[in-house]
Amino acid sequence: MKILATYSIKGGVGKTTSAVNLARQAALAGGRVLVWDLDPQGAASFYFRIKPKVKGGSERLVSTKGALSDHIRASDTPGLHVLPADFSLRHLDLHLDGTKRPTERLAARLAGIDDHYDVAILDCPPSISLASESVFGAADALLVPVIPTTLSSRTLQQLSEFLDDRDGAPTLFPYFSMVDGRKRLHREVMATLRSEWPGMLLTPIPSSSIIERMGPERAAVGVYAPSSPAALAFSRLWAEVAARIWP
Amino acid sequence: MDIVSFTAADAGPKKVLSALTKAGFAIEGQRPVRRTRLDTFDARLHHAGLRLEMREGPHTELILRGGGPVPAQVPVEVAPRLATDLPAGPLRARVGPLLDVRALMPVLVMGAREATAVRRNNAGKVVAAVRVYTEGTAGPATSLLPLVAEVAPFEGFPAAAEEAVKLLRSLGLSRREGDAIDALAGHVGVDLGGFSGSPSVAMEPSEPATIAFRRVLANLAETIDANWQGTIDDTDSEFLHDLRVAVRRTRSVLSHARGVLPSDGREYFRAEFGWLGEVTTPQRDLDVYLIEWPSYVAPLGAAATELAPVVGHILRRRMAAHVKLVRVLRSARYRAVMTGWRAWIGGAVMLGASAKRAEAPIGGVVAARLAKAQEQLLGKGRAIDAESPAESLHELRKDAKKLRYLLECFGGLLPAGRRKTFVQRLKALQDNLGEHQDTEVHTAQLRALSEELHGEPGMTAEVLVAMGRLTEVFDQRRKEARGVFAERFAAYDTDQTAQALAKLLSSAATS
Repeated sequence: MKILATYSIKGGVGKTTSAVNLARQAALAGGRVLVWDLDPQGAASFYFRIKPKVKGGSERLVSTKGALSDHIRASDTPGLHVLPADFSLRHLDLHLDGTKRPTERLAARLAGIDDHYDVAILDCPPSISLASESVFGAADALLVPVIPTTLSSRTLQQLSEFLDDRDGAPTLFPYFSMVDGRKRLHREVMATLRSEWPGMLLTPIPSSSIIERMGPERAAVGVYAPSSPAALAFSRLWAEVAARIWP
Repeated sequence: MDIVSFTAADAGPKKVLSALTKAGFAIEGQRPVRRTRLDTFDARLHHAGLRLEMREGPHTELILRGGGPVPAQVPVEVAPRLATDLPAGPLRARVGPLLDVRALMPVLVMGAREATAVRRNNAGKVVAAVRVYTEGTAGPATSLLPLVAEVAPFEGFPAAAEEAVKLLRSLGLSRREGDAIDALAGHVGVDLGGFSGSPSVAMEPSEPATIAFRRVLANLAETIDANWQGTIDDTDSEFLHDLRVAVRRTRSVLSHARGVLPSDGREYFRAEFGWLGEVTTPQRDLDVYLIEWPSYVAPLGAAATELAPVVGHILRRRMAAHVKLVRVLRSARYRAVMTGWRAWIGGAVMLGASAKRAEAPIGGVVAARLAKAQEQLLGKGRAIDAESPAESLHELRKDAKKLRYLLECFGGLLPAGRRKTFVQRLKALQDNLGEHQDTEVHTAQLRALSEELHGEPGMTAEVLVAMGRLTEVFDQRRKEARGVFAERFAAYDTDQTAQALAKLLSSAATS
């Protein structure tokens, strides 16, 4: 099982929409996919119409008691399962801190279901914390949405520097998110960042009212607007990710 | 709960769908569909706990179930045949290594009208789905099907699926584990377990040797027959391979049948199966070339691309060899051999007088044959030194194979654990002898091919140089195999091997 995480230090950059839409694309491409909603807000769970509730809460998720699979729910997309959020995940740092080797804990929990899935996508809350470090310890790659602005590119640099010092750190798969092609600044920042980050994924995710409709529709874009530019962008972006993780 | 199905010969769809509707399910679509279970001839996916299906409805998709709680699904245009036809990605990564060179074949095709009943919770989330199939037919031999209802559970929402199960039971439908195709396989007489081709048959050590030998040979004849059509159709290269292995095992068992089966018939059929082995060799050699080509040329790195014209020549030769092989397999001689053979081993035709050890208990006969085969192997192996010609290793390889075939074909007499222990030792020696023989043959074949293809279109100096380099690679591997032979043989020629064999012999005679 390949483990990916949609991650950014910044909030509101499109992590959850990416996790939900890329997971659906991964399932449509023949993958057995798990989305683990690690954000206490539970937005990914909401989009999948799954109650953000885990029996025993965050503490149970990181403990060695019981199997992770006990908490998993099937989504309406064949091949796509969800480990829902729980409001107690706001204390995930605290619960991890009470365990042995906290930065390896999420990896250890996922190892128990390694044979069940081809890919797990962890949808992370924004921050750098003990929980993030546990995500870094589990993930093969971080999918990092970058809004093409000066501040976002600085954040990407900070993340890269943070990971540079760590053994076995995940690979960074940055990509542009919430892109408005009409804005000159977006075009300029994209050109600069593409030259500075040769590993950047090529497909940008547009800023789109279609994506905003995910809330009222409670579904991935491809379910209610399958031919929209946004749906096609997620499809192409997943194809790029898949080519990297299964060369 | 895994996927379960229900069948009913007399229940109509209206009754079932109406009951589901009353139980809170909504009918979300009725359409004709075709579902085809795909697997290899030897059911590799089935034996790995996987079910691969092509579903043709509004869209065409491959669905892979098993190996965990999540089905995988991917759109396709046409049915995949080989692993390379599967869409790239995780599904191919799981299925491809199991298929190896084997082709996917339609095992069971079901055409039916499908109604999907879906139960949703308050959030609009699907929590259970029941698919009801009616007006169904299934092949290969088309037959009319009973109503089938398939309950697909949704992980984390067991209650709704269990409710559907209870409801279908209350309507008098019979429960079957697995999906609709699993449920129908028994109904239409399709064995999803495929063809096993195991050379081993059940036997008692006390039964007369002639009966046991005939049963082993009849089982091998069945394997030859079973692989005939796939070889003719060129479905995949394993059909010919398995047919040839069954032919070689037949010859080997016949050679061990001295004194057990009448000698004149034995000699006649040994010669005829020798002929069959020979005439099937050219295509198999070329198949091996094509299957192993990527690994052969890997040491050449980028220079391997220079050899593309050679692959083209091999492919053309292979096509010509296949045409010749089909002629042989459809020839009067082939038919006469196999018809006569089945009659002879069936005891309908007895050529010559009964053999002197025909009635001896098979356990003792096999123990004696195993001991003799091992003695012969050790004698020849000990005589090989650094100066011995390559031919002596080739002969030793044949003896090792004879011993191995004996162990496999009469495996019914030998406890699995003891057999495995001994076979592991023998296999280590066989691997070395096989590597030596294969590289020897490839070196000679490549040299011959270079000469034959010289001057043909596309055979540039670069191609010939690359072939020369490849020949050197094989020759180096041959030398390495030859270099470690003495060590490998010494590892086989030990007290431990003797003890492992002694245990086997006592089991064969007395188990």
